Amino acid sequence: MTPTSGLRAQTIFMSPGTMIGVAIVAPSLSYVLFTSVHGPDFSLAAFDAVLTSALFRQSMVTTLYIAGLSSLLSLLLGFIVALHLAGQPARRRAFLMVLVLLPFWTSVLVKCFAFTVILGREGIINSFLSWIFATKIQIQLIFNLVGLLVGMTSYQVPLIVLPVLASLLAIDGAIYRAASIMGAKPARIFWTVTVPMSLPGVLAGLMSIFVMSLGAFVIPALLGGPRDFMLSNLVDFYNRQVLDWPKASAISVILFGIVIAFATPAALWRRRKF
Amino acid sequence: MSEIIHDPLLRRYRSMGTGLAVIVYLYLLLPILVTIPMAFGPTNALTFPPESYSFALFEIFFSSADWLNPLFQSLKVAVATAALAMLAGVPAGYWIARHEFAGKGLVTGLIMGPMIVPHIVTALGLYLYFSYFRISGTTLSIVLGHVMVTLPFVIVIIVAGVNKLDRNLEFGAELMGAGPMRMFLTVVIPQLVPSLVSAAFFAFLLSFDEVIISLFLAGPGNVTLPVKMYTALQWELSPVIAAVSTLLTAISLLATIVAIASRKGSSVDL
Repeated sequence: MTPTSGLRAQTIFMSPGTMIGVAIVAPSLSYVLFTSVHGPDFSLAAFDAVLTSALFRQSMVTTLYIAGLSSLLSLLLGFIVALHLAGQPARRRAFLMVLVLLPFWTSVLVKCFAFTVILGREGIINSFLSWIFATKIQIQLIFNLVGLLVGMTSYQVPLIVLPVLASLLAIDGAIYRAASIMGAKPARIFWTVTVPMSLPGVLAGLMSIFVMSLGAFVIPALLGGPRDFMLSNLVDFYNRQVLDWPKASAISVILFGIVIAFATPAALWRRRKF
Repeated sequence: MSEIIHDPLLRRYRSMGTGLAVIVYLYLLLPILVTIPMAFGPTNALTFPPESYSFALFEIFFSSADWLNPLFQSLKVAVATAALAMLAGVPAGYWIARHEFAGKGLVTGLIMGPMIVPHIVTALGLYLYFSYFRISGTTLSIVLGHVMVTLPFVIVIIVAGVNKLDRNLEFGAELMGAGPMRMFLTVVIPQLVPSLVSAAFFAFLLSFDEVIISLFLAGPGNVTLPVKMYTALQWELSPVIAAVSTLLTAISLLATIVAIASRKGSSVDL
């Protein structure tokens, strides 16, 4: 392949993708930054107004708190599943994986609908409890922290099972045998072999579901309460209801900044590790 | 791992682990297990388990333009998105996997960027940008927005697929005088079929399920099914949503089957 024909081939192969990058990705993302500083007449007024507003501060705290809490809960639940999957013979594991992959592919809207029906005031759980205790029970399980965490974990657990399972399967079986020959009990093997050796996969998975959940929108809007507004919901509020685009853009820039601040060290660390 | 470990506690630990795992599996499947029976329930109440079974909710869904139009809109958008994302992503993925070139980092960063940008930020940017050109609210704008966010996933799947191919076959074809295009179409593409199928399906499903970008870009006349469902869930809990959810779950099931079937050919863990 001569250099010119190589260049021609490169143009043919790369130009459709590059065109999307140049004509859609770059301008639309720059537009957010551009709008956040009031376009050509540069001003940081929107950032100033956003950073001093109590609503923004509360959403920011809620975002970090919910993302952190739901990611840790999802890790706990995901670890239980991954550990169980890792202990199965390959064929049964392939079958059980369907139980994780199906929820993985299920639309969040379907999950939100289902949990509204399960957790609602007249929902399945409350009806069941009312029937057992033979009195009317209406525990508030939705439009609050409980509903939000149930929805978030249901979305995040399938995402974290895959990386954790991969790192559990990568542990050499000989180490388990060695530990047991040396007389270590199962609990000790778990804490001194399984946990530390799966740590890289666990941390990578935890970081990626945390970063993803920072941008959560549908679940807090449909299952959370009015006090569980996350940054994405605030962007939506300013964009579609207040029609204040500089503020919506300023919040978007800050949200993206937070995502980058968490994603970059994780990516660098992962590159060094593997 | 356990055949050599002898410990009276081991069996207890294992059954405890299995018990906990079964609870989590059930928790993950709960939304599906609840919606499917309700989709075949009566039209006037959302009770579980339903008191009677029928196809009435599906009949309502398939006879109301309020639901059918968004369904067709979503199908249209998802097919167009998958086609465009494949057209751009397959050659780009191959080139990125096989060649080093000037500005590779910049171009790849630009194309792959939307993967880490929160959808709400992308959606706002697309809305502001397309409003400037007065194409916001059109079906074209939704498709272009979806292409932007699905393209990185297509490229990831294609790069993983290409990396597993034997490069010598490509060298051989070029030594025999095939040009890059001909070599790509006759040597690379036929070997990539499993990756192509899963990439196309993934792009379709990402677009079909996408809520936020469509919510910001859709005008009143071209609402997609997820947007319709999102607004319906916000205002009233209609039993028809159970039927819609079941249809969406059927598509998810198909996606799971495609993902598992194509995993034998490629290494993508999706």
